Amino acid sequence: MTKDSETDHDHTDHTTDRTDRVATAEATVPPSSERTTDLRPGADNCYKCTACDTSCPVAEVDDEFPGPKFQGPEQWRLKRSEDTDIDESITSCSNCMRCDSACPSGVPLSQMHNTARGEYVEGMSKLSREYVRNRILANYGRLARIGSRVPRLTNFVMSNRVTKWFNERLLGIASEREFPAFATQTFGEWYEERGGPQIESEDRRIAYFHGDYSNFNTPEVAKALVRVFEAFGYEVVVPEQRCSGTPMFANGMLEDARRAAEFNVDTLSALVEEGYDVVCSCTSCSMALRQEYPELFDFEGTEQVAAHTYEALEYLRLHEDLDGALSESEVDGEHPELAYHAPCHARNQGLHRQALELFRELDGVAIEDVGDSCSGISGTYGWKSEKYDYSMEIAEEMFEHMEDADGTTGLTECPTCAMQMEHGTGYEIDHPLEVIEKAVV
Amino acid sequence: MVDSPEVLVIGGGSTGCGIARDLAMRGLGVTLVEKGNLTNGTTGRMHGLLHSGGRYAVSDQASAKECIEENRVLRDIASHCVEMTDGLFVQRPEDSDEYFEEKLQGCRECDIPVTVLSAEEARTKEPALAGDVERAISVPDGAIDPFRLCVANAVSAEQHGARIETHAEVTDVLLEDGAVVGCEVRHDSGSGKRVHRTPGTTEEIRADYVVNATGAWAGQIGELAGVDIEVRPSKGAMVIMNVRQVDTVINRCRPKGDADIIVPHETTAILGTTDEEVDDPEEYPEERWEVDMMIEELSKLVPILRESRTIRSFWGVRPLYEPPGTGTTDPTDITRDFFLLDHEERDGLAGMTSIVGGKFTTYRMMAERIADHVCEQFGITADCRTADEPLPGSEDFEVLQDHMEAFGLRSPIGRRSTQRLGSRAEEVLTTDDPNPVVCECEAVTRAEIQDAIDQSGTDLNAVRIRTRASMGNCQGGLCCHRMANELHPEHEEPTVRTALDELYQERWKGQRHALWGEQLSQAMLNHVLHGTTMNRDRDPARHETVNFDAFDAGAPDSGRREEPDGD
Repeated sequence: MTKDSETDHDHTDHTTDRTDRVATAEATVPPSSERTTDLRPGADNCYKCTACDTSCPVAEVDDEFPGPKFQGPEQWRLKRSEDTDIDESITSCSNCMRCDSACPSGVPLSQMHNTARGEYVEGMSKLSREYVRNRILANYGRLARIGSRVPRLTNFVMSNRVTKWFNERLLGIASEREFPAFATQTFGEWYEERGGPQIESEDRRIAYFHGDYSNFNTPEVAKALVRVFEAFGYEVVVPEQRCSGTPMFANGMLEDARRAAEFNVDTLSALVEEGYDVVCSCTSCSMALRQEYPELFDFEGTEQVAAHTYEALEYLRLHEDLDGALSESEVDGEHPELAYHAPCHARNQGLHRQALELFRELDGVAIEDVGDSCSGISGTYGWKSEKYDYSMEIAEEMFEHMEDADGTTGLTECPTCAMQMEHGTGYEIDHPLEVIEKAVV
Repeated sequence: MVDSPEVLVIGGGSTGCGIARDLAMRGLGVTLVEKGNLTNGTTGRMHGLLHSGGRYAVSDQASAKECIEENRVLRDIASHCVEMTDGLFVQRPEDSDEYFEEKLQGCRECDIPVTVLSAEEARTKEPALAGDVERAISVPDGAIDPFRLCVANAVSAEQHGARIETHAEVTDVLLEDGAVVGCEVRHDSGSGKRVHRTPGTTEEIRADYVVNATGAWAGQIGELAGVDIEVRPSKGAMVIMNVRQVDTVINRCRPKGDADIIVPHETTAILGTTDEEVDDPEEYPEERWEVDMMIEELSKLVPILRESRTIRSFWGVRPLYEPPGTGTTDPTDITRDFFLLDHEERDGLAGMTSIVGGKFTTYRMMAERIADHVCEQFGITADCRTADEPLPGSEDFEVLQDHMEAFGLRSPIGRRSTQRLGSRAEEVLTTDDPNPVVCECEAVTRAEIQDAIDQSGTDLNAVRIRTRASMGNCQGGLCCHRMANELHPEHEEPTVRTALDELYQERWKGQRHALWGEQLSQAMLNHVLHGTTMNRDRDPARHETVNFDAFDAGAPDSGRREEPDGD
């Protein structure tokens, strides 16, 4: 019931926006509202060096997957306007976006993949097991909202063997995976309870985009962000928000993503107007806001939000002397070597060295880079029964390097990379913000 | 008079192949000789427009009417070579309203279906159009692949008993008692399917009648026969874009002029053209300014062209002709009509007719006229059937869509292969053997390459025009060698190497005019791949004998997972 009325409402908004867009764009840009985005010109940048294919973690383990070059520039170039068929293999792309960084020539690979995947899913049977499963995985945030109301019960049910068997058989969700436990108090509830921002500031103010995972599952990460930024004198507001859309892009659920993105852009752009910068603790969330939103949507304010979005450590390094603060601090107690894995999406934003560079100077903490491989889980990819083995094969190198590290604690910015790291090694996985919290708060 | 006359057709372009098919279908004996590949002359060097007639609706209504008539015929008999894209005559603010109205009126007079579109409607149809265009006329223009069309005509002619000889240059026209009785031809590398490095032979082909269908080269054949044929070759430059910026033919709605058409062609878009008279159909300057001007001018219609990638440029020569004494100075004013020159009537030389002028869209009609004329010479009354019988590949085209996914190919590859092969798709693509993609840019599989090799032998340029392999954005950099590899083991290493060199050189030729931006990067990558990775610039095997048998065949099972462990 609720869902239907919401869909209708969103649909109306969407139509209005489209009309506006055509009207404003008429003078310079040809209206393309009747067609899906034409990305064929993006193929001009490709000279087939194949660097994208060699960087693709899925192509390395899945012989059936033709790789990003085929999925992107080749498939688009072969299109005529009336051709709508997209090869099924697009659903095997995990959306790690490593091909984007690998390309020396600026081919919009992930944009091509996301758009093609959206088109493919549009043509999929809405009753197929795969569609239903993917829709559920992509909309984890909605389910989490319900589940986290009774966290203990949900955790009990989800870790139940019967539930896992049921998920595997009925939905194709890998039974090997442990569903992440819901926190007994969400970050949102905590923030409310403490009375919102503790500092008010005209010139140091951020809007925190925490995403669903740190709200429902790892509120300690979100709390760490608030405390660290407040320690640097920032006003931290937490606007109402929906999923960043990352799992929706990866599953071709572009309409779901559009609704979520529109809500987020609407809220965040109002705050940007008031002088807030948007800060994320999850590198996939910042990736979505910065790159995928402008590539796939054009709501009013999309570009503006993208230009004002940062990842938390990146923001502090840019605007504060985080490096200096850490080199003058120390962390008490026993802290064996942290096994750090840089998420692919952090890599795409040029952020894969920041934790290493920062913590190298921090007394009491040692950090070991576990290599540049993908963790293999890529959000929802590794949750799918048919992809589970590939997911683990991709992760093999990371697991090995983690085992080689001295301690039994891992470190990463990405919540699903963290799941995979824990799944493969049994290590406890922290977020860099938690380490910084210990040092500076 | 003879019962079953033997006719020799000179020229393997669309007209020559069309004539060969028509005559063979009427039961005459036919031999066609062509000095290069099929389409080697003007046919392979055009923009691929299937005229609606709209372009001639003001200046040359007779041609316009023929165009729309043949447009309808070709959609039917050559459906696998035709893509009905529609065309727009687009008016910019600086183009006159008067001409727009004349164009509209002219199209109506010639029975060409037209719709006037507002600027917004035009941009809905073709989103890449400039924001400031005024309005447009929509006409049934289409895109046609001249290579496949020409080859399909030749294949059909062969199926009706004709002999098709490529790489067979006419070196002399045989005259006896003041009549043409055949030609002497030199086979570049042996008669029949082309094999490289086999010594050439000379052959006298005697015929009861000779048809000179060599277009811009007609004067040269005329010279061998001692008659004067005043063709006036006129060159036109064309630029190939890497992707289709448009899916509709875009014409500028103004009186004749350079650079006024964009044709979506297979995976690319072709910009055309210029019109400048040249002395020799083979030796003329190919100039950079022509390419620049084309992009600059056409960007006014489709702005994205300005920053888009071009993959090559090429020049073609129109076989224009006007009767002696007409005295037109500007080649754009010379009629596009065709002329049948019976040398017996005209020069007192029996046994030969030349066909000159004309244009690609009406090739079949021209072939019909000349076949009628030849039949008349022998009192044969057989009807022409070329307007009704579909070409090989265009039979039962409607069932095609159902078959697209049946060949175990990924969907865009299956789709493109089927679009190219038409009703032959099943026959060509069904295979129990592995069928990998050989040319990634154009989605051409091994099965399609092998089918082309079956047709044309070791000439990889002939394979190229049949399949489009090596015609995509890497211009063969990543697939020339794979194509050559398909010739082995049937052909030995030296043959394969020569075939590879020849194709690679041909691909380079057109890229020379596109060496900036992305295509320059592409050319550099190609050069490094071939020069360094494959050592093709100083390969010792070129000059020394290599014992290839000494190499083993690789791992027994090269599957990745079966590889032994080891660091």
